[in-house]
Order: sequence, then structure tokens, then C-alpha cells
Amino acid sequence: MEQRPQALARASQGDADSFSVLIEPLLDPAYRLAAVMLNDRPAAEDAVQEASVKAWRKLRQLRGDVGSLRAWFLSIVANECRMAKRTRWWSVIRLPDMERQQGDEPEARSDLHAALLRLSPDERLPLVLHFYLDLPLDEVAKTLRVSPSAAKSRIYRAAKRLRADLTLEEVF
Amino acid sequence: MSNEKFRDDLNRAFDQVSGSSNPGLGDRVRYAVTQAPAARGPYWIAAVAAAVIAVLIVGVLFIANPLRRPSAPIGAGLPSPSASAVASPTASPEPTATPSASTAPFQCATNYGPVTQSGPVVATISDVKTGTHPGYDRITITFNNGAPANFEVRAQSNAKFTMGASGQSVMLLGDSGLLVVIRGADEHTSYSGPTDFKTGYGKLREARQVEDFEGTVQWALGLSGTACYRVYVLKNPDRLVIDAQTP
Repeated sequence: MEQRPQALARASQGDADSFSVLIEPLLDPAYRLAAVMLNDRPAAEDAVQEASVKAWRKLRQLRGDVGSLRAWFLSIVANECRMAKRTRWWSVIRLPDMERQQGDEPEARSDLHAALLRLSPDERLPLVLHFYLDLPLDEVAKTLRVSPSAAKSRIYRAAKRLRADLTLEEVF
Repeated sequence: MSNEKFRDDLNRAFDQVSGSSNPGLGDRVRYAVTQAPAARGPYWIAAVAAAVIAVLIVGVLFIANPLRRPSAPIGAGLPSPSASAVASPTASPEPTATPSASTAPFQCATNYGPVTQSGPVVATISDVKTGTHPGYDRITITFNNGAPANFEVRAQSNAKFTMGASGQSVMLLGDSGLLVVIRGADEHTSYSGPTDFKTGYGKLREARQVEDFEGTVQWALGLSGTACYRVYVLKNPDRLVIDAQTP
């Protein structure tokens, strides 16, 4: 962990291996975020790959230290997912998707699962960050690029869309 | 339902959607990164050069344009459909100049709007700025895809506002206020700047975003003294301007 600042410095100077070391632990949360936003696993992997390349190209724009990397990277992944959503209407339907949609999952779906999929990707985003990735509120805010109070509001509002009788205390 | 049960159920639903990540994803990303050139100096320099050239061109056009004239503000206190004449896509394609500060009257402690005009389904906010000028302090909300179809400004005799999403109260600097309500707007896609300006100006003491949710954006303005203000919608770029009159 002590070597991460040095890895960031080397990556900023163009060392791809150092960048890969930095980004590796973030790939799993990035994939989970993308998979929930897109509800499409192959597309989520594509989004994470594309976001990683963009992060590599924009690494010098990272404000702050290595501690800011996760929120910064996840915000790039979220943007990539939004772009993927916008362009998917004309793209070819992938075979794995069809298999999955017709496969073994639907009968196992809960009401909550169905409610989750009824939310827009941007509504799912704060829920994934807060509940699934367990990010602290200030990091959720940085990823959403809003103030902590606005982030809290978004989490609560989205959670209420899932279950209307939730109280603030049950969410935070 | 307890907090833990809700979390557990929700995380199970997340697991169902996402499954487990592909173990080969790391290799795939590493390969893509090594094949992609890192953006370096030349791109950055090219971007700055392009921006400078664009500014120069706009500046020359602005100064040389003999047809330049101030655009009329939407009549202060008259939230009529005539607003669409300013924001309509059919308006003159000529660049619109900033209006003279002396061309519109200020209205005091009264509401403005709601104004309904033609505009995008969701007007995307790309910038928010404040500034102080002789006679007024200004906040400018810029949109990158057209002026909003519906907005209003509500005056109030205190600087206490309600956060739109949470319902919590928030007290801004100042002793009166304006609430700018923009319906059919989005401030989180293209805007990443400050959401709370403590300006240090004499009149507009603080401007704070109090809602950006479900297509409604609200900015609360904390003012010193009586809220005397005027409202403009300007083009090129599309922006909503509120001037608070200074003594």
C-alpha cells in the first residue's frame, strides 16, 4: 500500500504497468457498478475496459492523491455506462444476453430485484455505491460529483423508490 | 424491515444482476491499456491552442459585428409567453450580446413566473457562475442544449430554504432570498462545479443548489436586504441570468 503513491507518480509519467497495478483492485467494484447500471454483463466488461483506457489517458487530470483514485475511476465508469446506454439502441443484441435472459435466473428474481431493474441507471448508481460497494458518503458524493448532502438525498430517494416505507435511519 | 435485512436483500438483488466478474477482465484491461497510447503533451497543447483560436474568432466576430444589439430581457414581473421569443430556436442566428444592465427594471419581493417556453425535454446545465457588477450581483446558469422550457423565481423574506430531495431546512447567508426553480433540467450530467457559492458580495451573499433530482433543479439565493432582481434568458450560449440589485 505504501507503494501506491509511487505507482501513481510513475503511471502519471506514462508507465502502463504501474497504472495496471493501481487499477487492478478497482476492476471488480467497477465491473459490479457497470453490471448493475447496464444490466448486461458483457457490456459491463466492455464499459470497464473502455473506462480503464480513458482513465489511463486522463490520469494527469486526477485531482488529489491516490486516495481519490477510486471515486475518480468509478465516475469514469459511470459515464461510460451512460454513453453505452445511449448508443445501445442500434447495437447488435449479444447472444450471451439472450441466453441469460431466457436462462436460469428469472424464476429466482425477487420483488426487490424487479424493482431495482425498473429504476433508471442513474437511480441505481447511488444505490450501488452506497449499499453494494459500501463506499463512505463522501466518496459516493465524489463519484456522483455532487455534494455529500445531495448524494445522501439521491441514495435515500432511490431507496424509497424500491421500498416506499423506508425511513432515513434504515438507509444510513 | 430492518436496515440489515433491506441491505441483505438489496445486495442479493445486486448479485443476481451482476454475477461474478470475469477473472480474465484484469488481463483484458491490462492489454488494452498497454495498446492505448497515453494522452500526453501534444494533445493538451492542441486543445489549448484550439480554445485560444476559438476565443479569438469569437472575440473578433463580437467586436466586428455591426448588427450587434442588446437582446431584450424577458420583462421583469411579466412572465408571459413572449419569453419564447428570446429562447426560441427560430430566433435570429446572430450572436446575442449581453444586455445592458440599465435596460430592464428590477422587481422587488415578488415572484417571477412560472415561465413556459419552447425548450428541450431536459435542459442540461453545463456551468454556474456568479459575479458582481456596478449596480447588481449576478448568477448565470448556462445550458448546453437549449434554455429550459419551464422556470420560475420565487421571492421570500428570509434566507431559509428546504433541500428539495431530503426535506431538510438550510439557512443561507443573507436575510432574504430567491428560489430559482427550473423544471425539466439536469445539473449532474455535464456540470461538476461548485454547488454552494459563498460569494462575499454585498447583495448576493450565497447561492446554493438545493435540488437536482427527477428533472428539477433548484438554486437558492441568499440576499442581504430586500430581494430586488430581474431575470433574463440569453442565447449563445443559452443561459438563465438573475441580477440582484445592489443599493
